[in-house]
Amino acid sequence: MVDATFLALSVLTIGSAIAALEMRSLIYGSIALMGALGGVAGFFLLLDSPFVAMFQIAVYVGSIAVLILFTVMLVRRELIFTKVEDPRRRYAGIGLMLVLMVGLGSLVIDSGLKSVTADEPPIDFRLIGEDFLTYYWPALVLMALILAGSVTGALVLARREDVTDEQRAD
Amino acid sequence: MSVIAPKFRLGYFIKALLDNIFWAVVLLTLAGIPAIMILLFYIDLPIIDGQILTPFLAFTWMTHPEMSVPLVKAFMQTDFFRIAAFPGFGFGALLAAGVIFVERKMLAKLQLRVGPFYCGKVEGILQLMSDGIKLLTKEIIIPAKADKPIFWVAPLLFVGTAAAFVSLIPVAPKTVVADIDVGLLAVFAIIGFFPIITVLSSWSANSKYPFIGGIRALHQMISFEIPLILSLLGVVILTGTLNLSEIVESQATYWWIAFLPVGAIVFFIAMLAELERIPFDLPEAESEIVAGWLTEFSGMMYGLVQLGSYLKLYAFAGLFVVLFLGGWQGPMVWPPFPEEIVTEGITMGPVTAQIPGLPLFSQEMLNGTLWFILKTAAVIFFILLPRGVFPRIRIDLLLHVGWYRLIGLSFVNIFIALGLLYAGVLGPEGIL
Repeated sequence: MVDATFLALSVLTIGSAIAALEMRSLIYGSIALMGALGGVAGFFLLLDSPFVAMFQIAVYVGSIAVLILFTVMLVRRELIFTKVEDPRRRYAGIGLMLVLMVGLGSLVIDSGLKSVTADEPPIDFRLIGEDFLTYYWPALVLMALILAGSVTGALVLARREDVTDEQRAD
Repeated sequence: MSVIAPKFRLGYFIKALLDNIFWAVVLLTLAGIPAIMILLFYIDLPIIDGQILTPFLAFTWMTHPEMSVPLVKAFMQTDFFRIAAFPGFGFGALLAAGVIFVERKMLAKLQLRVGPFYCGKVEGILQLMSDGIKLLTKEIIIPAKADKPIFWVAPLLFVGTAAAFVSLIPVAPKTVVADIDVGLLAVFAIIGFFPIITVLSSWSANSKYPFIGGIRALHQMISFEIPLILSLLGVVILTGTLNLSEIVESQATYWWIAFLPVGAIVFFIAMLAELERIPFDLPEAESEIVAGWLTEFSGMMYGLVQLGSYLKLYAFAGLFVVLFLGGWQGPMVWPPFPEEIVTEGITMGPVTAQIPGLPLFSQEMLNGTLWFILKTAAVIFFILLPRGVFPRIRIDLLLHVGWYRLIGLSFVNIFIALGLLYAGVLGPEGIL
């Protein structure tokens, strides 16, 4: 059962990743990207970490994919892309992908991780919180600072005083 | 004489019905029953009490209450029943249908109109059914330059996502489709799909009003998701769990709205915006952009989108009840099941039937469901009420409220929760 699910997820993820790159229509490409990111969330579910899987769906499928869709819809494709049909580049890309896959695969096989035990209980997210507050606290503080800085920056950038809004009556 | 069928005669209609029945019987005997017989060769039938459960035996048991009650009880425990009927889709759709009727009637009363009146003699009670039949029989028109695959799939996805949301809401103790450890996070993940479906369907219609509506919906939903999520963190901090059933159980003595009124108000406003209800119904503003992102939908596709949005309304109201109003908790008002039915059986005239397997539902479950429905109905009433009271607000005011006021208030709510925890009012040493 786990093997079948893993295979199906792999086909879904890799297939939609290839589709996301190869599709001529950018909208369908971003839908395929959503499929690939959702497949990754499925892998997390398979690895007994629903917490990470839910965040993967909420953040990547729910927000980043929407951002990409939004950008694609607002930009006229003809103006920014010029088609370059070059078979050599495609073969080079495929070759690079194969080299990467072989390298990563040999790493994984060398790591001694050969079997996955199924039917483990899901990882408790309270443990993740505990780890963050004890062992990984510098990382947590750093993340909090970066996030606070980016939110403040976004608000400052959005609130431009020099642009007058003609629609506003005040 | 109607214009649509000018040569209508009742006799023709009855003849057509009888013809159809005749052909159904003929086809069933000549083709249907042999096909079922052939199929039965290849199916492993379950063995119950040493007997093979053939269809004939199943039919026999169905007519005997003492045999069928345990079967029904076993069926109610299956995943299929849970997803399709009771705590899942069917229950939600029934409530959603009720909400549509109550909304129309209540809005009419608020505005001194009559509302639906003629269908079904009594106060237009069958209006909804007639609307459903009308939508089913209408032609589905697809815009010529629409992106057809996305356009077809969008209403189905909308209903499916709303149903997935409904499946996470616990209705009574142990009565929930998906009781997962990260229930609240799953809710956030599912809410994130609605803007995608909305903007894809509006883009695929290839028409200007849907696209304006879709972009407005995207702005509104994305920006109100942030206060929506932040306002619930207070509850998570106080309970220390993300499981919705455990959150309900933690409110046995006090409802969280008593401690976190700010969070409840922020969540309610963000909920109105996520549901595209007046005063935040800019994506469907009928006086400006026809029907917003629903403009090009017709027939049952429109019906599906409506069903999905009312399912979503029920799910959000249920989520509010679960998080702030104590879910199924309430005094026991349901009368206990009479013991003599279990011991002596049901007496109807001269016949006394001993029926094992009763009662079908436990008293706790019925009581919990009753309280949950009452509270959900109250929340839905407050969601419907602004429609008769407030005008629609402008999009820049809406985004301003979302980004500046609600996010700030939800942070205030988080600090209130932390303060209650560190002051010792709640938590391990506190009153709960």
